[in-house]
Amino acid sequence: MSFDSLPVDPAPDVAIEATGIVKRFGHLEALRGANVRIRQGEILALVGDNGAGKSTLAKILCGALAPDEGALSYWGDPVEVQSIAHAYELGLGVVYQDLSLALDLSVADNLYLGREPTKNGWRKWLGILHRDRMRQDARAALARLGINVKSMNVPARNLSGGQRQAVAVARAMLWARRAVLMDEPTAALGPKQTGIVFDTVQRAAEDGLAVLVISHDIPRMLSVAHRIAVMRHGVVVAERKASDLHLNEVIGMMLGAEVPAA
Amino acid sequence: MTDETLEVPAARPVADEAVDAVTAADAAPREDRWLDQARRSTAFWIGLAIVLLGVGFGVLSGGAFTRDSNLLSIGLNSSQIMLLAVGMTFLIGAGQLDLSVGFNVIMSSVIAAKVMVAVGGTAEQVAARDYPNLIPAVIAGIVVAILVGAAGGLLNGLLVTRLRINSFIVTLATSGMFYGVALILTSAANVPFLPQEIQTYFGAARDPILGRVPLPLIMALLIAAVFWWVMRRTRFGLHTLAIGSSREAALRAGIDVDRHLVKLFVMMGVLVGMAGLYDLVRYASTNVVGHQTDNLQAISAVVIGGTSLFGGVASIGGSLLGTLIPVMMGNGLIILRVQPFYQLIVVGIILVIAVYLDQRRRGGMA
Repeated sequence: MSFDSLPVDPAPDVAIEATGIVKRFGHLEALRGANVRIRQGEILALVGDNGAGKSTLAKILCGALAPDEGALSYWGDPVEVQSIAHAYELGLGVVYQDLSLALDLSVADNLYLGREPTKNGWRKWLGILHRDRMRQDARAALARLGINVKSMNVPARNLSGGQRQAVAVARAMLWARRAVLMDEPTAALGPKQTGIVFDTVQRAAEDGLAVLVISHDIPRMLSVAHRIAVMRHGVVVAERKASDLHLNEVIGMMLGAEVPAA
Repeated sequence: MTDETLEVPAARPVADEAVDAVTAADAAPREDRWLDQARRSTAFWIGLAIVLLGVGFGVLSGGAFTRDSNLLSIGLNSSQIMLLAVGMTFLIGAGQLDLSVGFNVIMSSVIAAKVMVAVGGTAEQVAARDYPNLIPAVIAGIVVAILVGAAGGLLNGLLVTRLRINSFIVTLATSGMFYGVALILTSAANVPFLPQEIQTYFGAARDPILGRVPLPLIMALLIAAVFWWVMRRTRFGLHTLAIGSSREAALRAGIDVDRHLVKLFVMMGVLVGMAGLYDLVRYASTNVVGHQTDNLQAISAVVIGGTSLFGGVASIGGSLLGTLIPVMMGNGLIILRVQPFYQLIVVGIILVIAVYLDQRRRGGMA
């Protein structure tokens, strides 16, 4: 299966929907009835101040955490996501804030971890890796993101922070069939690479993928995303079209106060 | 490599031509020349050290070290530890340790020996060295040794994954359990009345071609070759290293980490059972007072061989060579009539150096 040929499953308009999500950590109520809706072919940016609950909500959406209250549905069907692996099976790709690459494994190995192509016939049963295919496809996948890494065989440890992030993004894009969830995907990237990542994300959305991006880079979100959802104190206080919003309005909603235009 | 080396037109989707250009430029595989790879490989350096040791001892001993009978001895001594080192390579590669190996070897050899004697004939026949059921006895012994070893490994694996206790502590505890079982079963004496045939036909057997290489060593090398191949070329090996490198990444990739770890411990147990058979085959007896430092020898061999204690990096070849160093050292010193206790000191020093280099390699890059 090469990068280009992954089909995006046809699905109803709403890809992932979360309603009334409540999550407590001891006495702390991280989420107090959050609602969010990610639509097919749309980039939704989730913004909010530190502690607003963005990462917690993302973790619940991708199966890393279970909500205390509330409902989650994938592609219109109510679902209880058991684990991240389960979310993957359902068609969700995730790029984490902390990268979760295995640094001792090569770039190609990381891209394919858990879904390694095996050689055909009886060798498939033994689990023999098709390393040539992995190498070639990995090169193509990274090239499509504009990433030039000399060798697919170097351990990920040898890459710069930006390159590691690029590999993590490539991995999510490679396997997502219907939706991608990104938590600060460009935090470690320079401006050029950030641009490339979001170009790719936009093209993926045009292909029908549903995208949720969590980011502190609000100006970038305003230009890249279709809709912006603002979180404050564990709830989503507003969800509007990006084209309808200005930076100071977004910040105002994040902080709960009027912020004069710059 | 810095991010600034990227040359891509800004604010436009990456055009297909650009993709082709990048792909073409990168298409020629830049695999290093084998010499460069060899220079960087720890296995290479250990191989060199072994050759130097061999030559050094050979010269110093006036040829006694390199005599056939001595090389034979070295080969046999190391073949048992090699089996353990192979399994340990996988475990350490996955970020685990198994301290119970030597004691599991004793337990499985003891139980296998008892079964062999029981199946071989009645008590009187066996005491008179008469084995009417020799073949079934031997087969039973082999099967039981492996099953008992595997059961010990399974216990280790379940305790580590279900109770979430780290492997160091678990295997420290099971060391005592396995040894206790063995001592209870034998009242701390070696199992008597094992058929000599297993020693003459297997223990002392040689390869058919040259007639010089002992069969147990050949088998150990063959088994090691299989496991080398599994580590390098299969999904199983890749997942092992992934778990050692980043348990989190492995989990998020959908790997069932707990199940994989149990498999690794059971695999170690199977190799332990085979090593237990080696005792029987070499001496036609068990060795209940031996094996006390098998765990340390195996772990040292693995670490000296280049496998990282941090997990994620492993070398079967290195482990095999790493086994030879303490064995050659001890053997050579005896021949030179130097107190073999110096071997303990030297191996200890080598181990510290190996771990230090491993840390430097990891610390400098992370």
